Amino acid sequence: MFAYLLNLSVLICVNAILAMTLNFLMGYAGIFSLAHAVFFGVGAYTAAFVSMHFSDSLFVCTAAAMIISGALSLALALPALRVRGEYFVAASLGLQMLAVTVFSEWRSVTGGLGGITNIPAVKVFGVPIETANGFFALGVGYLIAVALIIVVLLRSSFGRNLQAIRDSESAAYALGKNVSAIKTLSVVVSAALASSAGVVYTFYLSFINVEGFTLDLSVLLMAMVIIGGTGSLLGPIVGAALLMLLPAGLSFVPGLPQAEVGLVQQAVYGLVMVLLMIYRPGGIVGGGSRKLAASAAVKGAR
Amino acid sequence: MNAVTQSSTATAGALDTRPVLLEVRKLGKRFGGVQAVTDVSLQLRGGIVTTLIGPNGAGKTTLFNLITGHLAPSSGDVLYQGQSISGKEPWDIARRGVGRTFQDLRLFSRMTVEENILSATEKSAWLWQPGGRAEARRRREKVAEIMAATHLTPLANARALDLAYAERKFLSIARLIASDATIWLLDEPASGLDPRSYDRFVALLRSQVANGVTVCIIEHNLDVVVNVSDRVAFLDQGKLLAEGTPREVLDDPRLASIYFGETA
Repeated sequence: MFAYLLNLSVLICVNAILAMTLNFLMGYAGIFSLAHAVFFGVGAYTAAFVSMHFSDSLFVCTAAAMIISGALSLALALPALRVRGEYFVAASLGLQMLAVTVFSEWRSVTGGLGGITNIPAVKVFGVPIETANGFFALGVGYLIAVALIIVVLLRSSFGRNLQAIRDSESAAYALGKNVSAIKTLSVVVSAALASSAGVVYTFYLSFINVEGFTLDLSVLLMAMVIIGGTGSLLGPIVGAALLMLLPAGLSFVPGLPQAEVGLVQQAVYGLVMVLLMIYRPGGIVGGGSRKLAASAAVKGAR
Repeated sequence: MNAVTQSSTATAGALDTRPVLLEVRKLGKRFGGVQAVTDVSLQLRGGIVTTLIGPNGAGKTTLFNLITGHLAPSSGDVLYQGQSISGKEPWDIARRGVGRTFQDLRLFSRMTVEENILSATEKSAWLWQPGGRAEARRRREKVAEIMAATHLTPLANARALDLAYAERKFLSIARLIASDATIWLLDEPASGLDPRSYDRFVALLRSQVANGVTVCIIEHNLDVVVNVSDRVAFLDQGKLLAEGTPREVLDDPRLASIYFGETA
């Protein structure tokens, strides 16, 4: 039972990193991407490739994953920043489709549909990470590191630039902000940070294939962000934990056949989403009535 | 109020000798079958206040959008300090010194008052601003001064969307001051202000003009037209019908009938 919880915790950390980095785009830059699983995948494949051919050092693998993922994210950013809103969603959807094809067909690097097996253990200062506890520490460590980087960025002028664009793009332009450059940089940062989740995932499972990086995951990540609360730091973590625990919890419901769990899970996801949009449109952490509470507080102070 | 009073009593000769800061040359804009702006030529001289008047739909805001690059002109040219800026990106035009406000304000509504103003001072798109801690401290000090000048200091930590209407208008101007724009294009800055806020606005505008800011205002408020403006330009149906001192324009019976209706 403890091993099971530990396993679940590592996967929650991986998904929480992805949800946080997606929220960086959705909640702060106002960019809705359906291609987030691509950068998770690029991180995972890069880490696997580097560890098998060049170095099994965690730092080398992570750095390589972040650089390649960040560079490839320009493929999403540069053409798509010419368009806005729903057109960007469509462009990101296209990239997601394209990436899945590349992941399944580029056999020399991704192993094709079969994926990559026998990924060697990763080493930190020469010490291999092999135990469940080790991977738990790695997952939590990366989650904390990513969270800290995001907090620092959001409190900086870069974070204000992003929020300015989200609140009014035309006003940001009128104040001399190079909106395209700021958006491009935010996509690169988000993709690079998301790839770190791929590194953890790759070495934890020591087996990866395209199944883990499909549109399904991109949609699930978006659900995590929306359910947890966009534009808040804790929201995506709560959303990730909830959507990971839900299927796990359902498998313990007595009388529910294992074969039916997937079906019930989909129905519960749908129901939760609909109820949230009605009662808490800001997400669980976001709080639907925050705006009203804040305006009441200011009026009271006057 | 110790600000230099810019008013229509200043002699036309003194104003005419000032250098032209921004010049609009035969500017035109067509939206499909609608000619929104037709061959408008206008000179904004440094340090004076020009007010654009005219009925709704005359093309005043479109003219602003053409100058600031938010819209691309169909014909004509815009020169700022003698250089053509038409066709440039709006952020590029803004960095050269052409600032504006919007009729619907477009504040960064989920950011605080202080963050709104601070962000207007931060031009770099990179992960950090140049100049390190010393520059960051200087920007914070500048924001504090601007908040004091715009009466926003007590509201520094309030979110923009929680402000009252007049406060929001002052915040939009505070952002403009913070951006270091040398020419201000203000879209109906005085509409909806109560008398006290209006007086504060006029005082703020005059002190900024005394500091060297050039202003072009879209406004229907007659007090702004008569008592704040040095020059008035009259637009109707996308055409510039007249340009002159407030008295010259307002006393033209033809323009008055367009603006105030047939009975005027």
